[in-house]
Amino acid sequence: MNDLELRLKGKVPGPDTGIEVRKSVCAICDPGTQCGLDLYVKDGEIIKVAGTKEAPHSHGTLCSKGAAMRQYVYSPDRVMTPLRRTGARGSGEFVPISWDEALDEIAMRLNAIKDEFGAESVMFYSGYAKWARAYLMRFALDFGSPNYLTESSTCATAMIMAQQLTYGMPAAADLKNTECVIFWSHNPSATKGLNLASINARIEAGCKVVVVDPRVTDIAQRADVFLQIRPGTDGALALAFGNVIVGEGLYDKEFVESWTRGFDEYRRLVEGMSPEKAAGICGVSASDIRAAARLYATSKPACIHFSAAPVVHHTNGVQNYRAVFCLIGLTGNIDIAGGNRMNPPSLVHQPGGFPTREREFTGAGRLADLPERIGSARFPVWARLSNEAQACDIPRQIETGSPYPLKALFALGLNHRMWPASQKFIEQVCKLDFIVDVDLFLTDSARYADIVLPACSSAERREIRCWPMGYVQFTQPAIEPVGESRSDVDILSDLSARLGLGDELLEAGIEACVEWMLEPSGLTVAELDKHPEGMWVPGAKPPAERKYLSGGFKTPSGKVEFVSSVLEEIGGAAVGAAGAPATGDAAAGDAVASAGAAGRAGYEPLPSYREPQMSPVSCPEMAKEYPLVLGLGARLPMFQHSRTFRLPWTRALSPDPHADVHPRDAAAAGIADGEWMRVVTPAGAVTVRAHVTLVTREGDVHLYHDWPQANANDLLDGDYLDPISGFPGYRSSLCRIEPADVRGEGACHD
Amino acid sequence: MTSKTLSFDAGKCVGCYACAVACMDQNDIDATAGQQMYRQVMHYENARAGEVRVTHVSLACMHCDAAECLDACPSGALRRDAGSDAVVVRRELCIGCHACAMACPFGVPRFGRDGTMQKCDACYARTRFGLAPACVDICPTGALSYDDVNAAMAGKQARFGKSFAR
Repeated sequence: MNDLELRLKGKVPGPDTGIEVRKSVCAICDPGTQCGLDLYVKDGEIIKVAGTKEAPHSHGTLCSKGAAMRQYVYSPDRVMTPLRRTGARGSGEFVPISWDEALDEIAMRLNAIKDEFGAESVMFYSGYAKWARAYLMRFALDFGSPNYLTESSTCATAMIMAQQLTYGMPAAADLKNTECVIFWSHNPSATKGLNLASINARIEAGCKVVVVDPRVTDIAQRADVFLQIRPGTDGALALAFGNVIVGEGLYDKEFVESWTRGFDEYRRLVEGMSPEKAAGICGVSASDIRAAARLYATSKPACIHFSAAPVVHHTNGVQNYRAVFCLIGLTGNIDIAGGNRMNPPSLVHQPGGFPTREREFTGAGRLADLPERIGSARFPVWARLSNEAQACDIPRQIETGSPYPLKALFALGLNHRMWPASQKFIEQVCKLDFIVDVDLFLTDSARYADIVLPACSSAERREIRCWPMGYVQFTQPAIEPVGESRSDVDILSDLSARLGLGDELLEAGIEACVEWMLEPSGLTVAELDKHPEGMWVPGAKPPAERKYLSGGFKTPSGKVEFVSSVLEEIGGAAVGAAGAPATGDAAAGDAVASAGAAGRAGYEPLPSYREPQMSPVSCPEMAKEYPLVLGLGARLPMFQHSRTFRLPWTRALSPDPHADVHPRDAAAAGIADGEWMRVVTPAGAVTVRAHVTLVTREGDVHLYHDWPQANANDLLDGDYLDPISGFPGYRSSLCRIEPADVRGEGACHD
Repeated sequence: MTSKTLSFDAGKCVGCYACAVACMDQNDIDATAGQQMYRQVMHYENARAGEVRVTHVSLACMHCDAAECLDACPSGALRRDAGSDAVVVRRELCIGCHACAMACPFGVPRFGRDGTMQKCDACYARTRFGLAPACVDICPTGALSYDDVNAAMAGKQARFGKSFAR
C-alpha cells in the first residue's frame, strides 16, 4: 500500500485524500447533549464520523448512537420525496409527489378544516428532534390553534412542573462545584454518558455520591450510599430524608424562615415518615436512609441531579419529585454554587449564558385569546404551568369530541409507541380527517399519514444550539440533503406562506428567525457564520447566585413552597384542616392518601406520599395474579427510544427486545437467561428475551420500550396517568412472566 | 517495540459501546451482511457480600509483542506493520486455515463469509499519520488510550496508589 492508499484507508483528511472535516451537531438524543460532530466528507458523502475536539461539552467524544450517525443519515428507510397515501392508513402504500403538490394540498386541507371546524381542531405536534419546536409553536399560533403539543407530554415537562410548583423554575445540579451529589434516578452511563468524565473527576476529587435508583447502575456502584428503592416510592424516601434533616436540626433555619412557605405543615408531614416507615415502603434500610440524608444535609454545598422522566413516569410522579425538590430548599442549596442553580434557557431548552427572544418568538402570549388546549380541563395544573397541550389526552378528545372535535394532525416526527396504549392511540388518530407527518424515515407511525414529508438530519441542515458554559453554534449543512428532504424549518416557512398566515419573519427563513431571536444577546448571524465549529459567547457569564434575593422565587408566594399555592388553589384542599395529611399507609394498602380535607384527589398542596396506583401494596388482590412490578422505559446506551433501532451498527449490539429480570424471579418462572418469555399484564402481553441480571431488584421487571414487535407501552391502560401532569405511570405497574415457546422472529403481540 | 500501544482500563469503562461503533464506522463493517465487529464490549456481574458489581470490558486485538498468530500463520497473511508495530492481516494472502485462531490466546481472530481472517489493525493507517485509533478517539471516559505503554501503566498505578489515601 502506498502512502496515499494508506491515508485513504485511514480516512485521513487532506487535499490528497479529498477528505474534508465538516462541523455539525448530533441531534439523535436531544437536547442537553447535542454533541459536536466532525463529519468526514469525501465527494459530498459522509465516510466517517468523529467527535469535535473543540466542542466544550463533548470534547471530541461521542456515544454509540452518535458514532452511528453515518448509518442514520444514509439509512435505506429515508423518505426521499413527499409522499401521498394511496392505500389504507397504516398500509404503507404511498406514491411520490412533488413538494409543490404536497404543500399546496396540505395548505388547502388545513385551511378548509379551519374554516369548517375552527383552527383549534388542528393539532401541531413535535416528536424528535426538538430543535424546531419554537418555530412549530409559532406556526401553530399563527394558524390560530392553541394545540401545540410535543412528546414532552411524557418527557421532561412533569419534572419541570414539580420544580415550578416548588421553587418556580428548574434548578440544575452544579456538579462542578459541589461536595455531594444525589443522583436521583439518573443513569449517566446510558444517557448523557459524555458527562461521565466530569462526574468521575469530581468523585476522584472527593465529592460524595448518593444514588437513588431501582437498578444497580454504574454510578450506583460508585456511590457512598446507594438506595435501591422499589419503583415509585421516591416520595416516601424524600419525606424520610426530610424527617432526618428536620428532626436532627440539619436544615438551613435562616433560609427556611425567610424564604419558604408552609414549613410547619411540612414538618408535620415529614414527622409522619420516619426512616423506619420509609424503609418498609421503599425496601431499603433505615440506617442507609439516615446516612444519605445526613450526607446531603451536612455537605456544603450539595446538589440533586435529577433526570427528565423516570421519577415522573409514575401516577404519583409530580408529588414524588416535589418531595425530592423540597429538600433543596430545606437545606438552602437552592441557587448557589455547588447546589441546584437556576439558569434560564437561551435556546432549545438550553442555557447559553446569553439572553434571547426565543419565548417571544413562539408567540406564547397569544394563547390567552384562544380556546382551551387539549387536556386543560383534565389536567388544570399542566394547563397553568405549561404552554403546551397535554398529548396524553388526545385519544379521549378525538373519541368524545369534548370540549370540541379534533380533525387534523400536523406532526414533525410522530411515534405512536411513545404513548400509553399506543395501539388505541393510533386508532383514535386514524379517525382524524387529515394527518401529515414530517419525518426522516417511513416509520410505522408515518404509515398512517395522508401526506409524508421528508425531513433532513442535522448533518443536512442549519440549526442553532448553545451550551451552558457559554458556547453557541449555528451549523452549516455538511452535505446536500438526502433525496428531496428539507429542513423542518424550511418546510414550516414555505407552508406558512402557502397557508397565507402573513408571518413575514417565519417566511423569511431560519437565518432571519435566528437573527430576531438573538437580538438581545448582541450575537449576529454574520458573526456566527464565521465560526461553523461554534464559538464562545463574548461576555457570557454563569448566572448570578441567589437571584431570589432580588424579586424572590417565581412562585405565587415568591418563596420556596413546601405548601404549593397552585395545588392549594386548583386542588381546593385546605392543608392540615383535619390534622396532618396522611403520608400513605403502606400497611393499610390504601392507594389514596387522605389529604386532610376534601380536595381534588392527588392534588395535595403538600407533597404527600401515595402509592403508585398499581403496586403490590395498592393492589394486593391483583398482585396475586401479577406479582412483579413492571417498569417501562429503562435505557440502553445504544438506543434513544426507537431512533437507532434501524441502524445495523447499533442494532447488532442488541438485536432483540428484552427485559431485565432478577435471577430468583427468572428461576421461579422457569426462565433462563436469553430465553424468550412472555411479560403479561391485565392490558396485554409481549414476548421478549429474558436478560437475567443482578442489576434488577428481586420483584421488578424492566422492559425496554418502543419495539414494534413487543411494544411495552401497550401493556398499560391509556388512562393510567398522574392526575397532576397527565403523565403515564410507565415505571410502575404489575405483571407476571412466563416461559414462551416463540423463537426468533415470531415474537409478537397477543 | 515502538512506544505507543492500545491500553484498556476496566476501572473507567462504562460499557457504552461507542468504541465498538466507531470501529465499525472506521472499518466500514457491513453488519447487515453479518460481518463481525473487530471490537467487542462485554459485561460481567458479580455479587459479593450483597454488593452487586458490574464490570465492562472492551476488547480487540492485543497486538502482542510476541504474537503467536504471526508465528502460526503459514501464508504470510499476518505481518507486523513497520510504522506502528500493529499486527495486521492481508486478507488477500489469507488461506482461511484458522491457525491464527488456534494460536491466539485471546479469541481475537474472526472469519468473514469469504473465509478470511479479520481483526483490529490498531488503526495503523491513522496512527502512522499522527491520529489516534477510532476507538480511542471516541471513548467518553478515557478507558481506552493509545499511549506509551509505560506512561499508560504509570497513570493506572497512580490511580491505584491514590485509593490508599486516607
